[in-house]
Amino acid sequence: MGSPVPQWRGVMVPLLLFWLLSVAIGLTVGGAGLAPFDVARALTGEGEPTARAIVLELRLPRIALGLLVGGILAVTGAALQALVRNPLADPYLLGLSGGASLGAVLAIQMGVASPWGMPAAAFAGALGAIAVVYRLARVAGSALDSRILLLAGVVVGAFAGALTSGVLAVSESAAVRSAMLWLLGGLGGVGWTGVLALAAWSAPALFVLALEARNLDLLSLGEEPAQHLGADVARTKRRVYVAASLLTAAAVAAAGIIGFVGLAVPHLLRLLRGHGHRGLLPAAFALGGAFLVLADALARSLFAPLELPVGVVTAVVGVPVFAVLLRRSVIGVKR
Amino acid sequence: MARQRALISILAGVVIATGCRADRQVTASILDDWGRPVVLAAPARRIVSLAPATTELVFALGLGGRLVGRTTWCAYPAEARAVADVGNGIGPNVEAVAAQRPDLVLLYASEANRAALERFEALGMSVAVIRLDLAADLRRAARLIGRLAGDSAAAEVLIASFDSALSAASQAAVPAHRLTARIYVDIEGNPPLTLGSGSYVTEIIRAAGAENVFADLPQPSAVVSLEAIVAREPDFVLAISSDTLRRRASIAGRPGWRSLRAVREGRIVVVPGDLYGQPSPRMPLAVRDLRERIAALWTGGSGAPRRRGAAAQRG
Amino acid sequence: MSGAALQLERASVRLSPALPRQLDDVSLSVAEGECLALVGPNGAGKTTALRALLGLVALESGRASVFGREIGSWDRSELARSVGVVSQREEPVFPLLVAEAIAMGRYPYLGTWSQPSAADRDAVQRAMARADVVSLEHRWVETLSGGEWQRVRLARALAQEPRALVLDEPTASLDLRHEMELFELVIDLVRRENLAALVVSHHLNVAARFADRLVLMSAGRVVSAGAPSQVLTAETLSSVFGWPVSVSWLSDGTPQLYPERKPLKPLSNQE
Repeated sequence: MGSPVPQWRGVMVPLLLFWLLSVAIGLTVGGAGLAPFDVARALTGEGEPTARAIVLELRLPRIALGLLVGGILAVTGAALQALVRNPLADPYLLGLSGGASLGAVLAIQMGVASPWGMPAAAFAGALGAIAVVYRLARVAGSALDSRILLLAGVVVGAFAGALTSGVLAVSESAAVRSAMLWLLGGLGGVGWTGVLALAAWSAPALFVLALEARNLDLLSLGEEPAQHLGADVARTKRRVYVAASLLTAAAVAAAGIIGFVGLAVPHLLRLLRGHGHRGLLPAAFALGGAFLVLADALARSLFAPLELPVGVVTAVVGVPVFAVLLRRSVIGVKR
Repeated sequence: MARQRALISILAGVVIATGCRADRQVTASILDDWGRPVVLAAPARRIVSLAPATTELVFALGLGGRLVGRTTWCAYPAEARAVADVGNGIGPNVEAVAAQRPDLVLLYASEANRAALERFEALGMSVAVIRLDLAADLRRAARLIGRLAGDSAAAEVLIASFDSALSAASQAAVPAHRLTARIYVDIEGNPPLTLGSGSYVTEIIRAAGAENVFADLPQPSAVVSLEAIVAREPDFVLAISSDTLRRRASIAGRPGWRSLRAVREGRIVVVPGDLYGQPSPRMPLAVRDLRERIAALWTGGSGAPRRRGAAAQRG
Repeated sequence: MSGAALQLERASVRLSPALPRQLDDVSLSVAEGECLALVGPNGAGKTTALRALLGLVALESGRASVFGREIGSWDRSELARSVGVVSQREEPVFPLLVAEAIAMGRYPYLGTWSQPSAADRDAVQRAMARADVVSLEHRWVETLSGGEWQRVRLARALAQEPRALVLDEPTASLDLRHEMELFELVIDLVRRENLAALVVSHHLNVAARFADRLVLMSAGRVVSAGAPSQVLTAETLSSVFGWPVSVSWLSDGTPQLYPERKPLKPLSNQE
């Protein structure tokens, strides 16, 4: 007799296909008006040099970055929702988006906003915020209190955000504009080197999250029941928090602040399929990546040659879809 | 007693009547760029300029001596530095301006300045809102300031010399290449921000006989996708900065920008902000300067790039 | 088998230096094949005693041990394979299917990368049957009544295939039938499978009928311990609970207490 518990296996194949489809769309769509045939030829190394340049050096790294960043944001969102026991948590609740913004804005002010300087400054800012939040949330040795974590994240984020606004208020208009554009998020800032650096950096942290998947299931029951069922709660919380923070800091450094993916993608999957993290985490990675790539394709092509900030597209496209699914689940169309 | 009171009221009536007539004489109907009538009792003697472009214009009209306040960003001409700094031009410090006791405030036409305008009016100060974003605005602004300062003749002289210098520069004897230079204007790198046809720099480009690859965009500035830039195959990249080497290096170093032939072949033109940054009577100098730079890069390098017919038509 | 399964030896817990001890020199032990009921008024320290036993709270002095080993030497996973715990309250934050919830009882047995095996699935089925929750398998936890949820959690504890059970107020939301059924089940497990059972309960009369021994606590101390008939005396109970209590006996000698009435005096006429 089959288990009534929904199996993730059934959803992985469609998700993988969707993932591949998003890559295909990302490659063929864009402001340069290339036909799919030209794209295919460019991929094999032939075709016009301009088309080759656009496909191989512009679109391909963007897509790779989108798959990584989208995947990271969705996975950390899912893990954090379990960690703080709140389905409305998202990666930016840790306060590090505020820290990253502050780092970025200071980099612009000090004139070190190069293609490597900006991400480095944003990363440093994010780490600073994480350290403060971690310190605030540590109680009784090295145990993390989830409620304090949540509040500390909000507070530190607000503080950093206020400082950011302050710096912007006394900056000249070019600096303000630079800052605003970076903060709105985009996948064009780092090339292949950035993609590889991000991949190398995130792999261990993603692995750690995968290891803790079952413990995250237990944690959602509550800290005491989790302990009774064999979870080392303090250790799990610490590991998940550190991994999630490092992942999000890197994602923000590479691509600015892209909202909605980290909140909606895991939540959507929870609504559709359930909360077993062994399946939820990989599924979130796939769906988050595909979603961001599609959003970026739309951002590049909707008002070509103009380019929208990708964070705007993720929200505008994501919110209606999310709202429909939310209503369906609340109005009791549970399987 | 009654006779004294009657005498006083008659005197008061005469003074008021005279004053009104004097007002009617000077104000006539000078409307600023927001259609507001600007009321001045006499030609402006103490002027505060709240935009670098109007500051330059005031000096160009020979009225620099009447300037009692300028913004922190007014850097040209050098004499402007000696005038009192009253803060920002957008979102101005009303108190700092009022402290200079101006009889005329030249305010930059921006929606962000609506609140400041109300504050100035509440203080009873005369404000002329001036739109000075394009070369086309220069003539109107010069005439307006000239009238308000009681020196319309200076304005006409300036405009006439500007017009002749501009047409001379456009047809300058600097050897122009047969093909029109196609230029991408670089403001920001990530995401790429450029200028459309609604901007002063585009006007300089046009007057210099070149073409902004994004001239089809009407707005002053826009965020475009890198692949759109690559598809339009610009011959040059134009950037405005005071630090030439740094800016050039930063553009060349951006990931993916080497897909642009102009970047690969080093055809990056970096121009100074004080000459290209705001509409100015020195526009002819800018036009001449741009033509020379383009010619230098084109002849100094490998010659004009091969043009593909389809690409040249796109954009 | 001799030797205690669950044991507290002179355990003291003081959570804050300013306050008096939550546990003061408490000793209790439960052997395999035995059911011990821990009773006492609110705030007596019963739940703290459970926490101390399971290593969830630090001891100021004394010792807690499970199956002969000090609690500090147990790995959490290892402990979960030996002791099944049903706490007083549990509120999952995400919607959960009953089948999922019970399946988590097998997590202590699963390696990081392994899937549940046939043995795991069998253990779950057996546990569900024992706790009589098979009909609830496809339900969502949030739609269950308090009593049903408690039985589901008991099923989960049974799915852990423990050698000892620790139950904190397991019948708080259960109606008469389900309360009796649960205690009958626990006693059956104790007798037939030699489990050790430590039950915290407010329902003294029911506890008296099923437990082999009682430990009565008050204000962090053990007041009395032993067979129900020894512990449940009128004087002890009245003083511990601060209410006049009388005791009568069933035919098999089990004491049953009943509290006396103390009607409120009518208000004076001047009101």
